[in-house]
Amino acid sequence: MAEHRLTHFREVQTDPATNPAATVERSPDGRWYTVSGACPTCHGRTVSRVAHGVLGPGKGLWGARPSPPPLTGVLTVYCMCGFPHPARPDSSPDTGCGAFWDVPVPDPGGAQP
Amino acid sequence: MSDLQKKRLAQLGQQLQQDQLAVVRRQAEGWRNGLAGLTGLVSVVLVLKGKDSVTGMPEAWRWVCAALLAIAFGLLLFGALRSVQAANGEIGAGTWLNAEQLFGAVLDEVERTQRALATARRCTAAGLCLIVAGVFLGWVVPDTSAAGTGTAGAPSVLVTSAGGTVCGQLVLADAHGVVVREPAGKGRPAATEVTVPAGSVREVVPVASC
Repeated sequence: MAEHRLTHFREVQTDPATNPAATVERSPDGRWYTVSGACPTCHGRTVSRVAHGVLGPGKGLWGARPSPPPLTGVLTVYCMCGFPHPARPDSSPDTGCGAFWDVPVPDPGGAQP
Repeated sequence: MSDLQKKRLAQLGQQLQQDQLAVVRRQAEGWRNGLAGLTGLVSVVLVLKGKDSVTGMPEAWRWVCAALLAIAFGLLLFGALRSVQAANGEIGAGTWLNAEQLFGAVLDEVERTQRALATARRCTAAGLCLIVAGVFLGWVVPDTSAAGTGTAGAPSVLVTSAGGTVCGQLVLADAHGVVVREPAGKGRPAATEVTVPAGSVREVVPVASC
């Protein structure tokens, strides 16, 4: 993995062609995905969790939890490397360099892209 | 070109994940207060009540009313407990508080809270409906202690005559005699009207019941 670079904070979408490989793992109970990989801009390691919305009771017998359908398409993640990148506004909720990018979600039955 | 809105939505998603338990708890508190207010509303409505006792009702209807009110009380109690449980909860009970398990525990707790709220809403609504049904029965089912013979509110009297005594509800008293409706029982399958001629009446005494 490349060294982290303390780049200036910039909210920019990175070029998909240059994005490094990321891993997308679904939790054993299928309720959230964990995306991990390096930031294409600053090379800091970023781990992001995306949960299935649970704002509503289960509809099954006794309110049993239905398994959420698998996610398809892409997950948008942004740099959360935790380094104090210069020029980052104090009011910004970001904890990284500001970059964001799309990570394709692998097919449920297929191989990792 | 950067689609900044996409990043903002991704950030909003992360924020919702962090906040959803607090949001659901706030909702649960609102629902708990609302359901308690609804339950209290019944007592306000009952200010306009009619009968406040089931003692005069036929026995079958009395049991129906008692069952309705008992079930309603159970439902309201269960609903109130579930709404309190939803507003407080017990996140992290029985699980390790590491990041992965806590993340799942938060999702579990949100689901539990939503389920408890749904149960509380259903139980409270059902309980209120049963109470209203019980009160409505009290209003519409006739009072047999006074109205079993169709002369509601008529006083019961004991008529003593030369031929004996007759006890029942007073139907008529005029120059020809006294008409009394004897209630069913004592060999009478149904209420019967008895006329005591005026000439033979010795005494007419009001009584509480026959």
